[in-house]
Amino acid sequence: MTSVTPITTTPAVAPSKTERPSAKDTVRGGLVLTVVTGVVAVFWISPLALLVVTAIRPLSDFIGNGPLSWPSAFTWENFSDAWDIGNFATTYGNSALLLILKVPLGVLISAMLGFALAKLRMKFRRTVMFSVFLGLTIPIYIAIVPVFIMMRTAGATDSVIGLIGPYLAFGIPFEVLVLQSFFRQLPNEIIEAARVDGAGDWRIFWTIVLPLSAPALVTVLILDAVATWNEFLFALILLNSDANKTLPVGLLNFQGQFSNNTTGLAAGILIAVVPILLAYTLLQRWIVAGLTAGATKG
Amino acid sequence: MTSLSPRRRGGRWRPWLFALPALTVYVVFLVYPAVSSLWFSFTDWDGLSPAYNVVGLDNYARMLDDPVVLTAGKNNLIWSLVTIVFPVTIGLALALLLNGKVRAKPVLRLIFYAPGVLPLVSIASIWGWLYNPQYGAINSFLSLIGLGDLAQPWLGQDSTALWAVMVPAVWLRTGFPMLLYVAALQSIPAELYEAARVDGASRWRQFWHVTMPSLRSAHYIVLALSLIDSFKVFDMIYAMTYGGPGTATQVMGTWMYANVFQYYQAGYGTAIAVVITLIAIAVGIPYVRSQTRERAA
Repeated sequence: MTSVTPITTTPAVAPSKTERPSAKDTVRGGLVLTVVTGVVAVFWISPLALLVVTAIRPLSDFIGNGPLSWPSAFTWENFSDAWDIGNFATTYGNSALLLILKVPLGVLISAMLGFALAKLRMKFRRTVMFSVFLGLTIPIYIAIVPVFIMMRTAGATDSVIGLIGPYLAFGIPFEVLVLQSFFRQLPNEIIEAARVDGAGDWRIFWTIVLPLSAPALVTVLILDAVATWNEFLFALILLNSDANKTLPVGLLNFQGQFSNNTTGLAAGILIAVVPILLAYTLLQRWIVAGLTAGATKG
Repeated sequence: MTSLSPRRRGGRWRPWLFALPALTVYVVFLVYPAVSSLWFSFTDWDGLSPAYNVVGLDNYARMLDDPVVLTAGKNNLIWSLVTIVFPVTIGLALALLLNGKVRAKPVLRLIFYAPGVLPLVSIASIWGWLYNPQYGAINSFLSLIGLGDLAQPWLGQDSTALWAVMVPAVWLRTGFPMLLYVAALQSIPAELYEAARVDGASRWRQFWHVTMPSLRSAHYIVLALSLIDSFKVFDMIYAMTYGGPGTATQVMGTWMYANVFQYYQAGYGTAIAVVITLIAIAVGIPYVRSQTRERAA
């Protein structure tokens, strides 16, 4: 799919000075655009900003002066209250454990499948590719009843371990899609040369393909970590006891308990989202690279 | 042909050793459950008892008489339309702004995509609070600017609930098209614009004759992925309204859930899930095929 633009036939000629806006106009235009975009950005981020302002004021101050006022007093108590009642120490631990167990494993097995699809002459390659990519379109709720029964039979409900299988399966289509398209761009000559030197597929995979694909692997790791951290539906049906809940399910419970304590609720929501916002800020480059991977190639 | 020659005869089965771990997990936890749901959809199973009867297409016939299915189907359609059209349009507009001579681009880009990384449940909590009729910021803001008459229980009445749930969805989904469009805009050669200017094309004409045609593959990806994603709606509605008030914000996913886990009608619930999944697959197939096609390396 190469995009053909109708204007390419005109030879590119540098426009004369008079047609180009003057430097002064450009600076002013840039300023106006910056202000316009800045206003939209402030509006965009206002729910989160309001959340911060609300979380650091006493409830009485919030009720007395309304949600849009500037706090007349500040407090950290909302955070300690929310932390204790929201059971965040436990839910954070569970989500982190799940992340550590699931994400590297998912990326590894997806990379192996991606390697087979991209670089090995595999039987039924196209059929496998089509069936796996089709998984992108399947909503999780089609699987919840059988998965619930399966886990109950296996005695794996109400355990973070029981989530690993379903999470892996629903992560595989996207991971394989991104990884195999990256592997495909690796030059065959390098792999053939290694093969001539006597390296087997397994060795080629570990010593050539994976190291050369580090950027794609990091991106997929991060995006899969975000998806795993945020997943809700499987966790909702498979986990019962408070001791085993992940962050999204725990947050939902917390929301119910704190419905009348707005400042505490705001603090709890912040506790839940600040780490992921921080991680996103630090890892932004990789996330953007992964999300836009498909956009620019034809 | 990008594949390598096999080292020895019969080598075409060896790659399956690499494929097997992922394929096994995929089949056990995605394919098998999906097919098994299809089977349950032909039964009257309640989800609890060990026994059930096969009732053929009864569950599907019943859906035709279920007014909530009608509401949910309509809501799914509205949801897909609104959470595609608005994010894509706003995302493109923001990308065009960010592609201009704006300063602090990285920060702005960071802000616009930020809602996209949050857990949907937390977004539901945040907006549930903003919409709160008594202590919510939205009604307070309306009073502040003299529109206090418009203050209302946004999530608590049929007329506004669905729209109120879609606003945060638009908020969180705008960042993705914006990122894709920013990347795609940067890859348009500057010569095209220079040439258009030489020909005396106005900004407006440049947009329609240079920018839009060059974004064709970005449009395709944005629309395909948004469409696929829109059928999966569940978390936001479950956490914000649980389908209510009444059934005003039910979608197929939440109505399926209610039937299975609240009314103990697993057979009927899975039939609802099967219908929406088949639609999602049918809609997604062109995209899946486009990704499967061999690309010239």
